[in-house]
Amino acid sequence: MKRFNPAYSFLYILWIVLFVIAPLVLIVYQSFFDISGHLTLANYQAYFGSGTYLKMTLNSIWYALLITLLTLLISYPTAYWLNQTKNKQLWLLLIILPTWINLLLKAYAFIGILSQNGSVNHFLTFVGIGPQQLLFTNASFIFVAAYIEIPFMILPIFNAIDELNPSFVNASRDLGATNWQTFSKVIFPLTINGVKAGVQAVFIPSLSLFMLTRLIGGNKVITLGTAIEEHFLVTQNWGMGSTIGVVLIVAMVIIMFVTGERRKKGRKGE
Amino acid sequence: MANTIISFEAVDKRYGDTIALNDINFELEQGKFYTLLGPSGCGKTTILRILAGFTSATSGEIKFKGQKINNLPANKRKVNTVFQDYALFPHLNVFDNVAFGLSLRKVPKAEIRQRVLEALRLVQLTGYDDREIAELSGGQQQRVAIARAIVNEPEVLLLDEPLSALDAKLRTAMQVELRQLQRRLGITFLFVTHDQGEALAMSDEIFVMNNGKILQQGNPVDIYDEPINHFVADFIGESNIVKGKMVKDYLVSFVGKEFECADAGMRPDEPVEIVLRPEDLVLTDVTKGKLTVTVDTQVFRGNIYEIMSHDSANNQWLIHAVHKATIGQKVGISFGPEDVHVMRFGESEEEFDARLETYEGEEE
Amino acid sequence: MKKRFSWQNLYLIFVFALLYVPIFYLIFYSFNRGGTMTHFTGFTWQHYTELFSDSRMIEIVVDTLLIALLSSLLATIIGTLGALQIYSVKRPVVKNAILSLNNILMVSPDVIIGASFLIFFTFLGFKLGFGSVLLSHIAFSIPIVVLMVLPKLNEMNLSLIDAATDLGATNFQVFSRVILPYIAPGVFAGYFMAFTYSLDDFAVTFFVTGNGFETLSVEIYARARQGISLEINALSALMFVFSLLLVVGYYFLNQYNSSKRTRKRQRLEATQIK
Repeated sequence: MKRFNPAYSFLYILWIVLFVIAPLVLIVYQSFFDISGHLTLANYQAYFGSGTYLKMTLNSIWYALLITLLTLLISYPTAYWLNQTKNKQLWLLLIILPTWINLLLKAYAFIGILSQNGSVNHFLTFVGIGPQQLLFTNASFIFVAAYIEIPFMILPIFNAIDELNPSFVNASRDLGATNWQTFSKVIFPLTINGVKAGVQAVFIPSLSLFMLTRLIGGNKVITLGTAIEEHFLVTQNWGMGSTIGVVLIVAMVIIMFVTGERRKKGRKGE
Repeated sequence: MANTIISFEAVDKRYGDTIALNDINFELEQGKFYTLLGPSGCGKTTILRILAGFTSATSGEIKFKGQKINNLPANKRKVNTVFQDYALFPHLNVFDNVAFGLSLRKVPKAEIRQRVLEALRLVQLTGYDDREIAELSGGQQQRVAIARAIVNEPEVLLLDEPLSALDAKLRTAMQVELRQLQRRLGITFLFVTHDQGEALAMSDEIFVMNNGKILQQGNPVDIYDEPINHFVADFIGESNIVKGKMVKDYLVSFVGKEFECADAGMRPDEPVEIVLRPEDLVLTDVTKGKLTVTVDTQVFRGNIYEIMSHDSANNQWLIHAVHKATIGQKVGISFGPEDVHVMRFGESEEEFDARLETYEGEEE
Repeated sequence: MKKRFSWQNLYLIFVFALLYVPIFYLIFYSFNRGGTMTHFTGFTWQHYTELFSDSRMIEIVVDTLLIALLSSLLATIIGTLGALQIYSVKRPVVKNAILSLNNILMVSPDVIIGASFLIFFTFLGFKLGFGSVLLSHIAFSIPIVVLMVLPKLNEMNLSLIDAATDLGATNFQVFSRVILPYIAPGVFAGYFMAFTYSLDDFAVTFFVTGNGFETLSVEIYARARQGISLEINALSALMFVFSLLLVVGYYFLNQYNSSKRTRKRQRLEATQIK
């Protein structure tokens, strides 16, 4: 449509400049200033020099991996079997519905469920194991994070399976593949893009769920997100916070680049 | 020509280095059915789009009733288009689709209603006005697209391969209907197709195109009988094309023999190409035939037998015969002098016409 | 009918239970007279009456809705125009560049958006509060609108625009009478998504708010850190019902739009069979 007048999209371009480019530039700029406003490389030295920050980063990536893996394990079968139900669109809607409940409320619910004398501990006492410390553990953080991310993993996988041409499955069976062979050699490779999209949608946010580390993890788990929030809003060391932010952005770009590149190749092959 | 409505003068169209149209010149008269015929990518749709105003020519002039319209926007031109994919608005029903152009021009409601219903009657869709587009069959959508265009009373109707999405039977029926509609409306139709059968069946005049050029213009019979070059002969109908030599006027030699022909005005011993249409070849005894061939394959087509054969010099000959032959047998084929169509290499349409005039004048 | 039980269904039931138990758990205890989220001692509306008499909370709810309505409306307008701009760009390199810029905020973690916006507002000397929260919400909602509208534009047949022009439509008429009706479902979906994004956001708002301005998420976070308050349970019950109505309403509106034609066709087919 060559006749579209660019003047109408002035606000959109303004948005790109002010809210996409400018903040990115500013966070990089800010990362070169120390707490008293002097231009310095100290933040990066501190980050790469001390084991604490690197360990925290690895820790954060490790937890994000665990969360993503747990989410994927629960979500793939769900998406797969959901596709075989009648009224699958309605069921899918029910899967998505919890994402419209405020994340904080869901986290809050788990404070009650996992607390010292909450329902889970009641159950554990009932079966004779006795009450355990559940809240403020690493496991509880992973579990609650996975709980929150599940719908975001199910949705892209569901769509990928939904778009899968059933003839492929029939052809595979026709050619003598067992159910498992059909799944591993035909269905899974053809829905891998859905899995990748899901991993993308879960992994990156999992690096930055600072409210969960505070409410559920009891500050035992420090993720990149927690560290950034800490530096910006508690210790007011924006420079250090920005440095960690830049690291997080670089991690994000790497993930996007890796998954994006593969997807392009896949498309060419189709 | 007094009633010329559209003319293209030296029109070029380039996309970067690609030449889409190369020196296009033609005139369209009022009330005739014209066809642009050629393989896909030959530039025929580009001509249509330039005429409709969707794209502009790189150079040259486009005139409407003598007025240059190169810079007139599409929405101001008195031409309407029937699109290849119909381009019916999916959010509007049949009535609103047809009424679209009129409602833009703030025609009174009552008049819109009357004209839309009349247009739908013309395309035989009376009673379909409140249907949704998605509920219609391909043929019905096609008619709505035509009704939507003609309701605006254009002086020229452009049709961009409008029948290509229909099945064979419906296509034949629509060809007849379109031709009747054109006669009834009395407006100029410019029809684009790559289907030579369609072009021959419907048109007053055909423009045969290839590689961005108009190769030949004429009525269907002329184009079929006197193809100007190898491409046209091959594209229009089925042909046997062999290399030959013009011995002298009315005498041509090919496959090692000399034959009488109806062409003249060429240099002696000029190399030429000979076209013989399969339906002009008559099967006969080896002794009576002008050529002797061996039958290779034979396919029954209902009304004719399609016979592939070869001569001693290994030229392929396609014959449309009424009676069947025996595979492997030698047969004779005969033809008259006027069945031998001689084509010179690189002769343009003007040169061809000029040459024709010189010796046809002699005969009379 | 074959037997309904299967391991697949059991698994699905388990997942659905997993997803919904915490939510119903919250709602259930909102009626607890006992005041804790662990021992249910009796039914009461007390926490709801407390909630409704909490003028601070009512004000926060109104502010949250106001931010959501305003930000999604403005984001929809800007995002739709942006989608049209991207659509009209012909060169693939430029198109991909704009699309990448568009998607940055979609894939950025909330904390990065929050932190960088905070730096941005501070850098400009912008006062933190309603204005900064509203601008931030508009900013992170625009890309989702673009991503909802762009596919509709791309699937639109280009000859529809030619056809409208051919029939005499001016540029504006092409937009208002052909393009806009065609992309309307995408625009509507974009608005809806932007609205829910805004309602749901915590992290970005947490960073860029100030001077006493709060949205529900921020308030819930603050209260949850102090421990259990059944007023929050009551609030979550109300929000659940609200979300449910919103989603069900949206679902049926979509169903209605797409089935209007189907039903009509079925009716026609039925009459043809007769």
